[in-house]
Amino acid sequence: MNTRNSHAIHITQDKCIGCVHCLAACPTRAIRVKGGKAAIIDELCIDCGECLRVCPHEAVHSHTTSFAALHAFEYKVAIPSTVIYGQFGTAVLPNEILSALRRIGFDEVYDLSSICELNCAATAEYLNEHARPRPFITSTCPVVVRLIQGRYPSLCGQILPIEPPREIAAKILRSILPKAVGVPAEKIGIIHITPCPAKMVSINDPATLAKSYLDGAISVRDIYPQILGSLRKSEEDAMMRHLFPETLFSGIGMGWSLAGGEIRGLKGHRAVAVSGIQDTMRVLDQVEAGLLQDVDLLECTVCPDGCIGGPLEVENRFLAKSRIMELVAAAGEHAVVDIKDVSRLYHKNFLSFDHPASPVEPRPLDRDPTAAIRKAQRREKIFGALPRRDCGICGAPDCWTLADDIVRGCARLEDCPFVEGKKEKR
Amino acid sequence: MPADEAVFRQEFPVTGGDFAKAGVAACRIKELLKDLGLDAATVRRAAIAAYEAEMNVIMYAREGRMDLSVSPDEVHITVDDRGPGIADVELAMTEGYSTATAEMRELGFGAGMGLPNIKRNADVFAVDSEVGRGTRLEIIIRRNGHGTT
Repeated sequence: MNTRNSHAIHITQDKCIGCVHCLAACPTRAIRVKGGKAAIIDELCIDCGECLRVCPHEAVHSHTTSFAALHAFEYKVAIPSTVIYGQFGTAVLPNEILSALRRIGFDEVYDLSSICELNCAATAEYLNEHARPRPFITSTCPVVVRLIQGRYPSLCGQILPIEPPREIAAKILRSILPKAVGVPAEKIGIIHITPCPAKMVSINDPATLAKSYLDGAISVRDIYPQILGSLRKSEEDAMMRHLFPETLFSGIGMGWSLAGGEIRGLKGHRAVAVSGIQDTMRVLDQVEAGLLQDVDLLECTVCPDGCIGGPLEVENRFLAKSRIMELVAAAGEHAVVDIKDVSRLYHKNFLSFDHPASPVEPRPLDRDPTAAIRKAQRREKIFGALPRRDCGICGAPDCWTLADDIVRGCARLEDCPFVEGKKEKR
Repeated sequence: MPADEAVFRQEFPVTGGDFAKAGVAACRIKELLKDLGLDAATVRRAAIAAYEAEMNVIMYAREGRMDLSVSPDEVHITVDDRGPGIADVELAMTEGYSTATAEMRELGFGAGMGLPNIKRNADVFAVDSEVGRGTRLEIIIRRNGHGTT
């Protein structure tokens, strides 16, 4: 099996007891339990984090950037996901959170809501200029991009080729900061703060850029205690931020992390938002069958309710969502980004993909068509002999996957405890 | 025919009016074709044709069956239904012509693109229908084919 290991999701062998929770939760059936431990098939994993959510033994962890690793940079910049504003209750203002991030060691911190608004305006411009194909699909969720590359390869050309806000923000900062702060570009570290393990993958192995403009991603869960500690110690600062707010937040971009947030500011186009991994797959199946051609833009995020439901957040997503909706309402509907700036960047192709997302190499049963047909026939026969209880004892998530593994040569019929001793009829 | 011929066959029953299962058979066919090593463009043509055919049975017929057979060269889908049949096949092949009810249209179906869409994506397409009895569609999609437009 391929070990191109840019994945963010890993199993901690010591903690894994070989139960079946992650097996059943994995939407791409990428996990097998072999030798009493879960193992991830790299080429099938899309880093959605569903296994991380359900593991009762904390044996699934995500490789995100550690706070300590930031010491490598002379000048440290944080661009937190807007999810961060929903993590600290209703009394803490976004400006206080940005300020707390500065106190714990970042030289500068930039809000992403204005860049989200910019992305939305650029998306509108792209849709106006491109009548076909329909629907376009947004690329903010890196898992959706991976899912399309692997499972819906014919939809690669329907991913709207504007980079997501985190990359656009980092690209702008990377081009401006070295001069502005007098630090060489390579000594500036630009770090995303996120509730999403897959952002790390999009940084290490970007699907649509030659190289990511970000240097790392810290999980909300990892940095939360430090922000909280800093917030508790600084009543004077809170007062300052209340009386002299320094960042202007975009109401259009503030709700970006909630399902529907990416399309909320989009006027004059029919846009539809889908969230959750199962629903996203259902809708992408429909798009691949030729449906939804009357929809201009499809926002897909695999976490429930959008990025606000990311597996690495701290606050429960319902409270976080409620808080962010308050902030959206408080910020109002007026634009904070100059549409002329957006248009200029857009027409310079500053916001575009370097290249389209390319389909992942498919995994047919066999490269030879005749052999593949024979294996598919054999798979049906094997499946017919299996109990269809999908118990997971064999190590595969369900009987169908066991049959598939057997014809691919990665499992044996004897792995099923219910057909032990029986010979497969050929 | 010899039992070990290199043709993969599977049948999918489709129940008229069962909108909850809309697209399930077409989706299954799509997954199978990927496993059989067909390229993405061919799989997509087959998926679109299969979906439209499946929806026609669900929307209009009492019951039906899709028979998939895949050889190394082509995908053959035969759809048989017991239903009202099509009175004027030529008319039904016209883009935009539809007998869908308001209710179906409200669900986003019945834009009158079904049969023309199958024709576009298939390399060979034949309709055989008898009013009051049912309809049979023969769809052939070739590896490296391009459809009929």
